[in-house]
Amino acid sequence: MSISVNGQSQVPPGFRFHPTEEELLQYYLRKKVSYEKIDLDVIRDVDLNKLEPWDIQEKCKIGTTPQNDWYFFSHKDKKYPTGTRTNRATAAGFWKATGRDKVIYSNGKRIGMRKTLVFYKGRAPHGQKSDWIMHEYRLDDNNTNDTTIVSNVMGDGGQEEGWVVCRIFKKKNHLKTLDSPLASSISGEGRRSHLFDSCDEGALEQILQQMGRGGGCKEENYEANNYNFGRYASRPFDTGIINNNNGNYRDNRFMKLPSLESPKSTSMESHQNNTNDNDNNTTITNNGYHPIIPIDMVTENEGSFTNNMVHHHHHHHNPMEASSSSSSMMVGSGGLTNWAALDRLVASQLNGPSMGFCTSDHDLQFPTLRSSSSSASTHTRAAASASVAAFISPNQDYTSEIDLWNFARSTSSLLSSSSSEPLCHVSNTSA
Amino acid sequence: MGDNNVNLPPGFRFYPTDEELVVHFLHRKAALLPCHPDVIPDLDLYPYDPWELDGKALGEGNQWYYYSRRTQNRATGNGYWHPIGMEEPVVTSSSNKRVGMKKFYVFHVGEAPGGSKTNWIMQEYRLSDSASSSRSSRRKAPPKTDHSKWVICRVYENDDNDDDGNGGIELSCLDEVFLSLDDLDEISLPN
Repeated sequence: MSISVNGQSQVPPGFRFHPTEEELLQYYLRKKVSYEKIDLDVIRDVDLNKLEPWDIQEKCKIGTTPQNDWYFFSHKDKKYPTGTRTNRATAAGFWKATGRDKVIYSNGKRIGMRKTLVFYKGRAPHGQKSDWIMHEYRLDDNNTNDTTIVSNVMGDGGQEEGWVVCRIFKKKNHLKTLDSPLASSISGEGRRSHLFDSCDEGALEQILQQMGRGGGCKEENYEANNYNFGRYASRPFDTGIINNNNGNYRDNRFMKLPSLESPKSTSMESHQNNTNDNDNNTTITNNGYHPIIPIDMVTENEGSFTNNMVHHHHHHHNPMEASSSSSSMMVGSGGLTNWAALDRLVASQLNGPSMGFCTSDHDLQFPTLRSSSSSASTHTRAAASASVAAFISPNQDYTSEIDLWNFARSTSSLLSSSSSEPLCHVSNTSA
Repeated sequence: MGDNNVNLPPGFRFYPTDEELVVHFLHRKAALLPCHPDVIPDLDLYPYDPWELDGKALGEGNQWYYYSRRTQNRATGNGYWHPIGMEEPVVTSSSNKRVGMKKFYVFHVGEAPGGSKTNWIMQEYRLSDSASSSRSSRRKAPPKTDHSKWVICRVYENDDNDDDGNGGIELSCLDEVFLSLDDLDEISLPN
């Protein structure tokens, strides 16, 4: 049975174009870039700058059957002759990359990468996020070294021009409904655990990495009384920065990261004060800086950082000293640069050990996990959530954040039911 | 998929909608019309265990399709299909007209009623009574035979770990988190 697509299309009933990622890359995109003839004109060329997602939907129909996703080739051009960024703006909006590129494997061999983008209506930076998602697949031929991946974490850098194959679809709700309510009642448990199974350790690290990149929104003493979860959360789970748009704290953006098990910020301050014999403590507190880096860092997972951290902890307790030392972590907008450094570091951890970061980024401070897990009492939890409430600016929209906390809660409840309670508590407070 | 007699380029797969299963495959089968493509095999009432379907039924991804008949006895070699829940109507997308019914079963290993539940699910599609009767009355032929008792079974194992079973077509939970984090990005930009 032969079909013709995009002409008088006749796809046999019941059949859909549902290529695997491997098929997209190995068959379609590989033929495209090598100018080989593709049997059927299933995937069309689209100028991403000229078509809105809803137009693509029309242009890339295959047959007459209903579709949930649409495929096309796109030729990536540089935004500026000298730069590496890709221009993905349309008349009505723009595509913005999100998350971290995913490596696509075929038979255990790396063949390409997938970038996820979201369509925003309007103009950056005031675009309005839509439900349109794009997966952009590129072949791996040119960039196979790990440094490229690290740079990709930072944005669009490091990618070549050329053909990519894309799929767009409209995002469904987080917990999508199955074919039927009956089916979901059957498989509810399975779906749920499946959902969070895929969030393995690496995934969580990515989340944490991303959170670092996101800049801060609130101060929070986040605790994990469960070792399993704490292990994952030993990266900065919250940036610990107060980003009050009214400006009280923004100019004092100390890039301090929250300790996981700081029983209570006040007690931790005094603890530090005693241990460090730090006479800057008063100054720092007045600046709105919440010193929450534990000194007695006993860590199993990040032992390699411990020495640096203890060492530089003293170093940076003095704001004057820090700002004069050209470290970008301290003040105002410079803080973002520092998060970029943190990004790189975490990325390097994800992509294999690269010890260079540990020594060069001396201004980074990491929260660590004390493996001797202190039993978080109700008292502690109350204190932590109170501090959350105290630092939330009522003018800000925390909807997405609440989603995140719900996610974190669910994740932690998967990892261990015992850790869900404090998280739940925190998220309720912030809601 | 090698048993398809359909020559399609890579990436085309049998992912029928409920409506297609009923309107195209079941109706035509019941009306003794040729099915093009004739991809769904007729396994009659043979009591295969669900894990035996591979190679016999039409397999696509982790789903298997085959024709069977309406029956009360859904015992197999090593277990039985136990009905769950109520039936669901299958309606046409264009006119919202009911054309069939869809019923759910879960496979139990062992003797009814004491078997133990498995992850295997079956959706059984049948023509709704009104649809088949109106068709036969309109067309006069064929007369009521047991062809109206055809069903299509879709069997799949509810796999907890089919991470990319959808080919990445939906967002993973991780992607969702990234998405919501993008909002934080916007918030935290100093103006």
